[in-house]
Parts: sequence; C-alpha cells; structure tokens
Amino acid sequence: MKISGIKYLANQGVENIWKNKMMAFATFCVLLISLLLVGCSALFYINMNSMILGLGDQNEIAVYVDTDTPQERVDEIGEQLRNLDNVSNVNYISKEEAYNRMQNQISQGKEIFNYIDDYQFMPDGFSVTVADNDQIRATVDAIKRIENIQKADSSPQVAEFLRELRRVVTLIAGAVIIALAAVSMIMISNTTKASVYARREEIQIMKYVGATNAFIRTPFFVEGLVTGFFSGAGAFFITWAVYRSVYNILMEQGMLINAFGAGSIIPFADIRVICGLVYLLVGALAGAFGSTVSTRRHLDV
Amino acid sequence: MVELQNVSVTYAGGVDALNNVSLKINDGDFAFVVGSSGAGKSTMIKLLLKEIDATSGVVTVNGYNLSKLKKRKIPEFRRTLGFVFQDFRLIPSMTVYENIAFVLRVLDAPLKYIRKRVPYVISLVGLHAKTNSYPDELSGGEKQRVAIARALVNDPQLIIADEPTGNIDPELSYEIVELLKGINDQGTTILMVTHEHDLVRHFGGRIINITGGEIVYDEVLTGTNAELLPEVELAQAMENAEFQQSDEYSMPAGDGSDYGNPYVDDVIAAITNTSNDNGGAE
Repeated sequence: MKISGIKYLANQGVENIWKNKMMAFATFCVLLISLLLVGCSALFYINMNSMILGLGDQNEIAVYVDTDTPQERVDEIGEQLRNLDNVSNVNYISKEEAYNRMQNQISQGKEIFNYIDDYQFMPDGFSVTVADNDQIRATVDAIKRIENIQKADSSPQVAEFLRELRRVVTLIAGAVIIALAAVSMIMISNTTKASVYARREEIQIMKYVGATNAFIRTPFFVEGLVTGFFSGAGAFFITWAVYRSVYNILMEQGMLINAFGAGSIIPFADIRVICGLVYLLVGALAGAFGSTVSTRRHLDV
Repeated sequence: MVELQNVSVTYAGGVDALNNVSLKINDGDFAFVVGSSGAGKSTMIKLLLKEIDATSGVVTVNGYNLSKLKKRKIPEFRRTLGFVFQDFRLIPSMTVYENIAFVLRVLDAPLKYIRKRVPYVISLVGLHAKTNSYPDELSGGEKQRVAIARALVNDPQLIIADEPTGNIDPELSYEIVELLKGINDQGTTILMVTHEHDLVRHFGGRIINITGGEIVYDEVLTGTNAELLPEVELAQAMENAEFQQSDEYSMPAGDGSDYGNPYVDDVIAAITNTSNDNGGAE
C-alpha cells in the first residue's frame, strides 16, 4: 500500500471519532472508568505493600557477642555481619551503651545499679536490620553460625505477621485487580462491539466493494487507539489529582503516619512517569484491540 | 462473463434455494432476472457475490471460479464487480464524493486519478450539485444514482443490480434502468434483478425467470414498448415460457424523456462520448 493510502486510513480513523462522536464518547468513558478502577486498585496495592515493607524495616535482629570477646574480634564480627546476605544495616552497641539502655529501660528496682558500678559484665551487641523480612529466619541462622556470637534474637512473630499480611493483601488486591480488569474488558468489549455494530452495514459495504479485512480494520484500529490514548490521559490526570490530595491529607496526620507506616506511601512524583506511560499504553492498546477485534464478526461477508 | 453450471444451493435445514441451475451471461449482455419472492433470486445474487457457496456445481464470474476461490482472494474478485442494491447501501458518514472515491481508495488508485475520475462519474449520473451532500440529504432516486456511480467508478466488467428500483418512485425507475442501459452500451455486463414487470416489458432484452429455485424461462425479448405484451399477459408469458424469442435484443423505443427526466439523454450521451476519457485506473 502507498503512503497516501496509509495516511488515508489513519485520517479515516481520526475522522470517524468525530463522525461517530456519541459512540466514541461512550467508548472513551468506559475506557476511562476501567483504567481508573484498575489503576487505582493497583496504586492502592503498591502503597499497601510499601507500607508493610516500611513497617518491616522496624524489625531488627538483636545480636549479642560473648562477654569476653576482645574488641578487635568484635570489630571483625561487625564486618562479618555487614557482609551477610539480606543485611541492610548493622549498628554497633557497646557494653557501656547497652548498660545505659538497660538502666533507662528498668523503671522499678533501679537501686540495684548502685551495687553494680562496672558494665564489663554486659555483652557487646549489634542491631541488625534485614533487607527482606521474609528471609529473617535464614539471616538469624547465618548470624548464629558466626564464632563468638552468644545469641541472635529477632521478633519472628512480627516478621511472620507482616509476611502473612503482605500475602493476604497481595491475594485480595490481586483478585480485586483481576476481577476489575475482567469487568473492564467485558465493558470495553461490549462498548466497542456496540460501536462497531452500529456501523456493521458500513463494514459490509466496504467488503462488497472489495476492501480487504486489513483495509477495513485499520481505521477502526486507529480510532480505538486514539480514543484509548485520550482515555489513558484522562485517567492519568484524574489519578494525579486524587492521589496528590489523598497523599497530602495523609502526610498531615503525623500520628497516623507512625502508627500505620503511612510514611512509606509513595509520593506521586516518584511514579508519575511510569503511571502515565502505563495508563497511555494500556488505554491505547485496549481501545485499539477492542475495536479491531469487534469488527471480526462483521467481516465475514 | 457469468456462468453457472448445474448449481444447487441447499440451506441448513434442507431448504433447496437453487436446484441444478445452469446459466450463461456473456460479456456485454444486459439481463433481467425476474421471479417471485422466495424463488431463489437473492440466493443467486449471493452466489455471484461469493457471499455463500454453492452446495454443488460450478459458479464462474469474470474468470474467477467461485467454487474454488480462496477467502483471501475474495476482495480481489469483488473489485471486478459493481453492485447496486435496493437499499442503496451508501456509507452514511461519507459524502457522495467520499462514497464513490472509497472504491478507488480500496484499489489504492493514485490520488490524482481519484480527483479526476470521481467528479467525472458524479457528473455522469447528474449529481454534480450534490457532490458534498451526505446520503441522508438525498432523495431515493439520487441515492440510487450515487450507488450506480459507485458501481461504475472502477470500470467493472459486471454490474449486479439487485432490485435497484425497489425503493424509488416508479417514474424514477425508468431513468435508473436507462442509466444502466447506457452503461451496458459501453460494454459492461449488467445483471438486474427485479420484480417490476412494467420495466421488463418496457425495456425488453434478455429475461431470466427463476421459480422454485429453477430457471423456467431464459429468452431474449425484442420489440418496442407498444409492441410488447401487456402486464398480465407478460406475467403469464413469463410463467408459461411463451415469450417471443430472438437471437439478439435491442433497446426499446423509450428513451427516458417520456418520464420527465431529460438529463438521462445527456448522461447517456456523455457516457458514449467520453468513454475514453476516464483514464486508466490500473
């Protein structure tokens, strides 16, 4: 086909949007709503996951070194800990610091410290933060295998809980997103089918004059592509506005942030580009393929 | 050229629409296909458009054996035809110009040729003033003239007209057939399905009567309008296959001017005089 032919078909696609504006608007709205439903669910899931991971960061492994370990060896252990897989941060806690902490933590019977004026009985220690909470048990085991380690303690219940929470959230969010995506596909399919059905005679006429299936489908493809692209753009701007408002409201609630890990909510600026691209791409493709596939049943003339 | 050799069509459910039909329409012929409702006319048209396949027999149109024609070759085959339907089948979202130009777009014809050819064909059917009108803004007769222009624009070997006068005023029917006759005079084969005996009686020519899925009459009728049999007798004649027969047929005396449509003469004259002015599509 000549370039002029391709340009003609592309122009036909764009012109058809205007010529069939009511159906095009219906398709635009359905695509917009579908993208918003699935997009917002996905963003909600991503943020929930981020919040759970943020809470997990507070889960540390307390590592105690044998009391008689020389300082050089303690420093070596610190290095060994840093070199372990899944360790994101290692914080050294000296005997003295541990002693002071213990003094502060005990609220009753502090008199006992009047009889203890030496902190040498306290072990040196480390506070180890893991990168992946799901792997915390394996990390504790690895720490325990290091020489001169007296004890390595984590709060596996918290890690287990967070892991379970993530699993449940992933399952629910996944199911919701899949269900919404399926409903959206049905909605898009029905709308594009209705749009194409209204023009089935037009398609049949094209077939009678010898148009190939590709020739007939191309304008429908372009029409769906353009409509879907604008739906994606619309969904992006609505998401942007809503997301920013919700984000600002949450950030103003300091207590909430600490309690629920809301500090881990992703700022929109961090996901703006990917969010925009996904919306535009998915919108354009859903529109284009929905429209093209719907022509199939009318092409058999 | 259209040829049906022992063609039968049986629809799902066992209904025999065509029963062992054999027919040959040579290049340059003008043939009326008549018959009552349900006789098998529509089935024959569908066969010729390759909309359906014959249950048995061979259908050949413009050199294409439709019984063996692959699906991907159907568009190529249909480009050798022109169609005129009772319900016009114009694309409502396209202007007169666009509806006609679309056929050439399908052929991937050069833009320069389209710009020259389409106005020429529009002028042939006397619709120059309606070039930018949409189908909804046209009368029935005008719509059918656009349909004829569309059928004509790619210079087809064969035009199939399925009840082209069925949705227009009786007096306009004559000018539509006059137009088709004028096109036929230039060598295009015309196959026109109709149930209007007046038209058949007026124009004469080859008449094929299908009844009950079989061709019961296929002869050439000659003579002028006045000489032809009156309607009742014509119907009887068609049924009894007692038409006057001849080896060749001629245009009847009526020239369309009797029906208050003087432009028809101009159009036919234009077709006759400018047949070589339509450039080469290919």
